[in-house]
Amino acid sequence: MDEKLNQIREQFLADVSAVNTPEALTALRDKYLGRKSGLIATEKKRVGSLAPEARAEFGNQVNQISAEVEAKIAELNEQFAAKAEAAALEREKIDITLPGTQFGRGHMHPITLLRNRIEDIFVSMGYTVVDGPEIETSFYNFDALNIPPGHPARDSADTFYVGEELALRSQTSTMQIHAMQRMSPPLRVIAPGRVFRRDTPDPTHNPMFFQLEGLTIDRNITMADLKGTLQKFVQLMYGANIVTRFRPSYFPFTEPSAEVDFRCYICEGKGCRVCKESGWVELGGSGMVHPNVLKAVNIDPEEYQGFAFGLGIDRMAARMYDLDDIRLLYENDVRFLEQFN
Amino acid sequence: MKISYNWLGDLVPLTLNPQELADKLTMAGLTVEGVEKHGDDFVIDIDLTSNRPDALCHLGVAREVAVISGTTLKPAGIALQEGEEAAEDVASIEILDTDLCPRYAARIIKGVKVGPSPEWLVKRLEAIGQRSVNNIADITNYVMFELGQPNHAFDLHSLQDKHIIVRRARAGEKIKTLDGVERQLSPDMCIIADTSGPIAIGGVMGGEETEINADTTDVLVESAYFNPASVRQTSRALGLSTEASYRYERGADYDSQVRVADRVAGLIAEIAGGTILKGALDVYPQRIEREAVTLRESRIERLSGLRVEIERAAEILTGLQFVVAPFAERRELLAVAPSFRIDISREEDLIEEVVRHTGYDNIRVTLPPWNGEGQYLPGENHRRKVRNTFVDFGFNEAVSFSFVSGDRDRLFRLDDKATATLLNPIDVNEDEMRASLMTGLLEALQRNFHQGRRDVKLFELGRVFKAGRESVRPDERETLGLVMSGEVLSNAWRGSRQIDFYDLKGVIEAVTGSFNVSGFTIERASVEYLHPGQSAVLQRDGEVIARFGRLHPRIASLYKFRQPVFVGEIEFGSLLELATDQVAYKALPRFPGVSRDISALVPDTHSWGDIEKAIRDLGIREIVSVTIFDMFKGKDMPEGLRSLAFRVAYRSDERTLTDEEVTGIHERVRELLEQHFAAQLR
Repeated sequence: MDEKLNQIREQFLADVSAVNTPEALTALRDKYLGRKSGLIATEKKRVGSLAPEARAEFGNQVNQISAEVEAKIAELNEQFAAKAEAAALEREKIDITLPGTQFGRGHMHPITLLRNRIEDIFVSMGYTVVDGPEIETSFYNFDALNIPPGHPARDSADTFYVGEELALRSQTSTMQIHAMQRMSPPLRVIAPGRVFRRDTPDPTHNPMFFQLEGLTIDRNITMADLKGTLQKFVQLMYGANIVTRFRPSYFPFTEPSAEVDFRCYICEGKGCRVCKESGWVELGGSGMVHPNVLKAVNIDPEEYQGFAFGLGIDRMAARMYDLDDIRLLYENDVRFLEQFN
Repeated sequence: MKISYNWLGDLVPLTLNPQELADKLTMAGLTVEGVEKHGDDFVIDIDLTSNRPDALCHLGVAREVAVISGTTLKPAGIALQEGEEAAEDVASIEILDTDLCPRYAARIIKGVKVGPSPEWLVKRLEAIGQRSVNNIADITNYVMFELGQPNHAFDLHSLQDKHIIVRRARAGEKIKTLDGVERQLSPDMCIIADTSGPIAIGGVMGGEETEINADTTDVLVESAYFNPASVRQTSRALGLSTEASYRYERGADYDSQVRVADRVAGLIAEIAGGTILKGALDVYPQRIEREAVTLRESRIERLSGLRVEIERAAEILTGLQFVVAPFAERRELLAVAPSFRIDISREEDLIEEVVRHTGYDNIRVTLPPWNGEGQYLPGENHRRKVRNTFVDFGFNEAVSFSFVSGDRDRLFRLDDKATATLLNPIDVNEDEMRASLMTGLLEALQRNFHQGRRDVKLFELGRVFKAGRESVRPDERETLGLVMSGEVLSNAWRGSRQIDFYDLKGVIEAVTGSFNVSGFTIERASVEYLHPGQSAVLQRDGEVIARFGRLHPRIASLYKFRQPVFVGEIEFGSLLELATDQVAYKALPRFPGVSRDISALVPDTHSWGDIEKAIRDLGIREIVSVTIFDMFKGKDMPEGLRSLAFRVAYRSDERTLTDEEVTGIHERVRELLEQHFAAQLR
């Protein structure tokens, strides 16, 4: 190898080992690879002074050294860049354990959440949602529901009155009557809403709560359809394996009547706190619409018949959320409301 | 109703253990709440529905058990040893008001010895939670719990003239009842009297004067049937509910009077000694008759979906002691309900009897045929959208009682109209139906403040009320209410700021904006409960859709609020009527736009709204938007001026605007500001 070139190479290797900053690297680069006065450029110019036969060999050697220097500088450059990037990233490191921004998303009321779910299920089963007034006449609240004058349900100890003939509706069944007056059979409706009973608030009572009434009227609707419908509802609501149980009961506006229970979805029947160790959870009341109710809205009970059912949304909510004091539902305490999503 | 398993065994053969029996009873409609061991006995607690007073006794439950287990009742066997003396020679009965008391029967026993009851009797009563008093009182109780019919024993010698008169009380009459309370009677109450006055309140409670006492030797046992509605009314009016009134008001057996009197008399003679006088006294002027009801086999299946042969139906009804006449060829039967089954009056009632004893479990499970698609309430999509919008903005959903304090509610009413007043409120301070959602929401806000929460945003969607004409249902209107107070972002460790009017306005705009309605305007307005300088209405074609602003300090101080509270009410019903689901797409711009900023000092008297409107009213098509980005009022600024900075965006739909064109248009905007708003442009 050309002695001078070899010297430059040795010097470069010595210089490069001392480089420890990007600035020093730039200086190094200028010293060896500078276009005009760089050591290698200067050597390249030497080629003209050489014997023609030595030129090719010298050219090769210069290029080789040049490539070696470039590669080394590029490598260092990369190292410095990586270091610089790492340092920059390190500088931008933050305490990720600090809390995220509280955008403060709000929460729907648990009754709304549950009511929407129930409505969605029944609409998917072909039911139309209807509503009616919260202040009712005696006809809708009692007479048409086969609750005659003098019946205990009319007692002012149980019902809120706002006039001789006007009361706060004490059950969503009133909306059955409105629906049957407005539409003609066959019909399939649900009617959710507020109802009022004169109960002093305590952990299991409120003077206002939400119910949902269901009604199906057609020519050949039977109790088997009632069982099937509520069974389907319970399965869509609580799980595909949940079974129901129908017990004879009594309501003035249905005959035969049935209380509906379903297998506890928590313990699957083994007994737990939610089902009070019975394995069964009460869903609500139901039955075949009483002929007197059909007559009250001029539907011939020999031609049409059907079933009705009523669910207590508050009670379902209490169970679903393991709520031991339902007064919380209407106190609007944010600490309570924030728990529901 | 507590039932003793052993006692039941006296009346019907028991083939099931207590728990099995309990399960079967539940599935037959007599809901068992629990079974508890009680010494060598079991007590079954049954929660009976109000239509089944017949089962408020051991015999009633035994009748169900007989049908459930396919056995028959044991014979009653009341054999009486009567003396020579005839009852009718000793005492007499007269019913003056047969509408209140259709039947009154009695037995007389002479020479009894009042004392403690035998151990078996005490145990039986104890098992079902009854305290022993003395042998005579215990026997009357025992028979009530056995046969269901309340009855009462009078000390015969205390009865003036030994003449019993059943009649309405007279105004001013009083009686001291067995519980030692003197009670005022009124003419709608049925009383038992002797010739001197009231001795018992019919079907409710006996009087102290004629009570059995240690010296009693002769007893008159009353066994009567009282009108259910009358007993209920009397019991309510007196605030006195007894085992007797509980049964009578639900409806007692109208045919068991003599049998019950006999049973009591027999037990008295057996336990307390004495002689039963010959013959029962029985006044029953108008026999109560039941109509026969037809039951069609086809109808059972049509209603219940359960196939039951008419022969099996007859068997069940007969077992339940109905009188049944079957017509096998017609697949029908005719049934007369027993006197204790007051709940049976039509075919559907018979079907329930047959079906519950065949088992609801045996009814198939089917679904009604397809009947078309389901539908939500009109506007439900908007209800859900609005709720989501509020939730996105950090509001929690409130649900408040519909009845409120009228005094508070009136603060938020826009007119003097009443709503509806509860005649029988639980709390006299909360007796009016709400005319505004503010009442409930501010109470909720107050409650949260008391809990130490300072950052609260609540909304409610619900009905408010407004009185209509006399005895007509009040109007019900669906409205939206919101309250917000505190920090914009709560718990923001990097800083936040207090909620102000513009936050409220933004929420109102976002909520109303989701209905796809154009043409809303927001104007300063005077609303009595709002701060006069920070209140507005949102209108469309002159109709007020929303009122909102800062709560008037005067009202805030009533609630003792120490931080600004912002509230709003939105007429949700009006919005729903305007709402559309149609959105017409506008083509996206094809040419680039240019923005120019203006910064100016403008007199305070000119509102931003006026300036913005004036710019738009220039009618320049190329103006796409006018957006304020800074508003500043500083100490170093001349009094009465404020600095506004805003951006005007220009664009043409036909071509790219040249710099000169934009400058030309922008100059018109600047001139407008200078000429019409005395603006000092910077």
